[in-house]
Amino acid sequence: MASTPPTLLEPVVTGAARPAAPKPVRRRRTALVGWSFILPNFVGFAALTLIPIVATLGLAFMQWNSYSTPEWVGLDNFRRLWASETFWMALRNTAYYAVGHIPLTLVAALGFAVLLNRKLRGIGIFRTALFFPYITSLVAVAVVWNMLFSPDAGPVNQFLHAIGVSETPGWTTSTTWAMPAVIITSVWRDLGYYMVLYLAGLQTIPGELYEAAEVDGAGPWARFWHITVPSLRPTTFFVLIMLTISSFKVFDLVQVMTEGGPGRSTLVLSQLIYREGVREGRFGYSSAVALVLFVIVLLVTVVQFRVQQRGEK
Amino acid sequence: MSEQAPGRPASAVRQIFLYALLTVISLAVLVPFGWMLVSSVKLDAQVFTVPIQWIPQEFHWDNFTRIWSRVPLAKYLMNSLILSVTITALQVLTGSFAAYGFAKVRFPGRDALFLAYLATIAVPWQAYMVPQYIMMERLGLVDTRMSLILLQAFGAFGVFLMRQYYLTIPDELSEAARIDGLSEYGIWARVILPLSKPALASLALLTFVNTWNDYMGPFIYLTSNDLWTVQIGLRAFVGVFDAEYAMIMTGSVISVLPILVIFLLGQRYFVRGIATSGLK
Amino acid sequence: MKSTIMKAVATATALLLTVAACGGGDEPETTSDGKTVLTMSLWNYASTPEFKALIDGFEADNPTIKIKPVDILAGEDYAEKLTTMLAGGDQTDVLTMKNVTDYARYANRGQLASLSDEVAKVDAAKYRGLDAFKLNGDYFAVPYRQDFWVLYYNKALLKDAKVDLANLTWQQYADLAKSLTTGADASKVYGTYHHTWRSVIQATAAAQTKGDLLGGDYTFLKNQYSMALDLEKAGATMPWGTANTQKIGYDSMFSGGKAAMLPMGTWYVAKLLTDIAAGKHKTEWGIAPMPQVAAGGPVTTFGSPTAFAVNKKAKNAAAARTFINWATGPKGATTIAKLGLYPAYTDDAVLAAFGAVQGMPSDPVAKKALAPDQVTLEMPISDKSSDVDAILTEEHELIMVGEKSVDAGLAEMGKRVKSEVS
Repeated sequence: MASTPPTLLEPVVTGAARPAAPKPVRRRRTALVGWSFILPNFVGFAALTLIPIVATLGLAFMQWNSYSTPEWVGLDNFRRLWASETFWMALRNTAYYAVGHIPLTLVAALGFAVLLNRKLRGIGIFRTALFFPYITSLVAVAVVWNMLFSPDAGPVNQFLHAIGVSETPGWTTSTTWAMPAVIITSVWRDLGYYMVLYLAGLQTIPGELYEAAEVDGAGPWARFWHITVPSLRPTTFFVLIMLTISSFKVFDLVQVMTEGGPGRSTLVLSQLIYREGVREGRFGYSSAVALVLFVIVLLVTVVQFRVQQRGEK
Repeated sequence: MSEQAPGRPASAVRQIFLYALLTVISLAVLVPFGWMLVSSVKLDAQVFTVPIQWIPQEFHWDNFTRIWSRVPLAKYLMNSLILSVTITALQVLTGSFAAYGFAKVRFPGRDALFLAYLATIAVPWQAYMVPQYIMMERLGLVDTRMSLILLQAFGAFGVFLMRQYYLTIPDELSEAARIDGLSEYGIWARVILPLSKPALASLALLTFVNTWNDYMGPFIYLTSNDLWTVQIGLRAFVGVFDAEYAMIMTGSVISVLPILVIFLLGQRYFVRGIATSGLK
Repeated sequence: MKSTIMKAVATATALLLTVAACGGGDEPETTSDGKTVLTMSLWNYASTPEFKALIDGFEADNPTIKIKPVDILAGEDYAEKLTTMLAGGDQTDVLTMKNVTDYARYANRGQLASLSDEVAKVDAAKYRGLDAFKLNGDYFAVPYRQDFWVLYYNKALLKDAKVDLANLTWQQYADLAKSLTTGADASKVYGTYHHTWRSVIQATAAAQTKGDLLGGDYTFLKNQYSMALDLEKAGATMPWGTANTQKIGYDSMFSGGKAAMLPMGTWYVAKLLTDIAAGKHKTEWGIAPMPQVAAGGPVTTFGSPTAFAVNKKAKNAAAARTFINWATGPKGATTIAKLGLYPAYTDDAVLAAFGAVQGMPSDPVAKKALAPDQVTLEMPISDKSSDVDAILTEEHELIMVGEKSVDAGLAEMGKRVKSEVS
């Protein structure tokens, strides 16, 4: 499906006063009003997305080849998953990818947003250029980056040689270096996207704050750390959540760039789900893997929520 | 960092340095697109060579004219356009509408429902695509544009995005409007929406891009050739044993142009100074 | 502001309704003039001539039936979409089975109708690869095309080579490849090109040593791997890692004059003929039998059939069977033979039609290549095939990029197949 668009910022909440608590009679009407807003979107969503997802999570406890009737097998799929070397490799790879992709993309997106948030003639062109990787054909991305990472002839290794590195990595032809190569490519690809979100977030920081800080003698780095970063916390929080979810779900880039190889060194959970389900016809098992992925992402998200709430106090 | 504080003249050296830095970065970032451009005027057999030929031996500009007759590219572009515009319009509309309920109206179960919305984003589509397909098949919607529109117009994302934005619009504004006698719907239309233009613009752009570039959804649900989108059409150049990569790149270049135009024209909407809404 | 929004809503709704109105819709069972409509799943209709040729030929002989192609994309996507469609209860009548692994999956799930009756009617001896489709005593598909692997060579680059191409052993092949390698960097011409698919090495060895790819013991692959890796080390063929990450195409290597030899399937013949006729390149090409393990014996190679099956939920099962009979029989075979594609059914007339195609090599070496003594299936059919295929591909990659030695890789293959595949 369309890869989910990341979200927008949450600009500085400047302590708005809460409205008076509604009276009991108004409460029911408010509930109705609330539901009336939500219903159009919710009905479509519930019918077409929520139901299949719930069905999938339920399939995790069954065996189904997509054709005959599903049969209940309890925890069998989970036992199989627990014992499967491929599952643990995929889990490790996915976590490795997330741990690499999330901070690097965040820092890059923030850095470029700050760099490009100025009134300069033609700045729009540079912003567009950084958005380009996101809209470039994946095949092109995979081919060119594979070429850049080529162990013997690629510019990356040639550069490393030039600065004195003797044993250059094999990148996508090596099980150790394939995932770093994928991570670097994915950061390059996604940074423009999150940069757009950070750009919007930067707009909400009142210029007066910077002026005041300069008057007080704060240098650029201090201004960044003490004004920009804290003011962007809501945006950062949001970007972080979206980055986390999409990192754990990553599929397309890995599929086109390495197909999970060499061997299984870049195989990620979404690929495993796809393989076991659509290719092999073991939909019960693939749903179990999906359930595990879902729980993990949920836990990580909840932790991030808690950290954010504590930070706001 | 942010806009220069008024009163300090930007030094010329600094400007030049900035331009130079940005140009280098931009060019570096555009390398794969450069490869796409170069490949689009080659013959298939010359696209993947070792080493990469950055300057083609021969320029086959006719690729750009041939592709329109090789596949009905115009029809595919039209289909992509119809889908993207419709889905974007619906997502923005229903998303911003529902988000208001989640952000500004208090009612029991609201937050639990929102959590359910969020949680569904965490499940990869590969996991539930078959059950979803079976459901759509029962509804008789397979092989229609309606299937994709319904599936993608009502999503958690538009809601999530707009809700977060609405949370920052101070309640005093809607309170004032309520006192003035406006209904909740009126508040949404007259007060909230105008204030959220950057968010709407971002949502619209990102939804459009994602729908335009979406391959899997249309591939699974659109069987009739008449309904195919550009992304499916381009994959038609991939054969069983090999692929016509030059044509694929030609098509990809053509396909990227509309998005480019939209982004170039629209990018100022998200960085336009957001009215900090009567707080200051 | 409100009116703008109202207008937007109105436009969107209008758009929605218009768009919704033009959908795919239900296909009728019969056309307006009473013909039966038969639906058939296939790929790349516009650029795969065999389908159009078969459909046109069949309709000419059977005027009461009209065939409606269901065009699904090629590659991995074909199987994925077909699986999804069938899961949803799709009723497409004729299903093209792209390869035997896909066939095994659909047959094992019970999604295909039994065709044993049709098979009983034909002269099984004239069909190559028919046995492969027997599953639990029943046939669920009939092959219409049988591709097998031969050795393509560049006549110009080999004109001084003093070898008997009709009777190459692997040792002679390796020496020949090394001697044909010339140049360096951009002007390098490799002696041969081994495509990245695992079958290039594994299926060849399995066919020629009678090894079992599903067995769990892969020591029979050792010599073939050693030969291939040795050629890489000597620089006589492109390193696997490079070919894989740069998505090198075998056509661009061979027709671009960058490789003097190329082991590849017979489907490439049709492509060469079409491309040369269209003026895309002028390579003088020939085909020779696949090199063998030892001299003087029968020519053994491996191959893969493409077949037609009938959907168990087909709307027009009877018409579907009629089509399959026609397409896989002598008439269908002649039709595709004329396109330079090797059919599953062969008799003298069909072979004559194949040999008569414009540009088809007709020298004795080529004739020997096109009449192998034994064609083994690329991968045995069983419910385990798909899983084993995944494991073998993964370990193949590790051996070819040099992460594991041949022995270690083969041992791991055996260990994984035995433990992971139930």
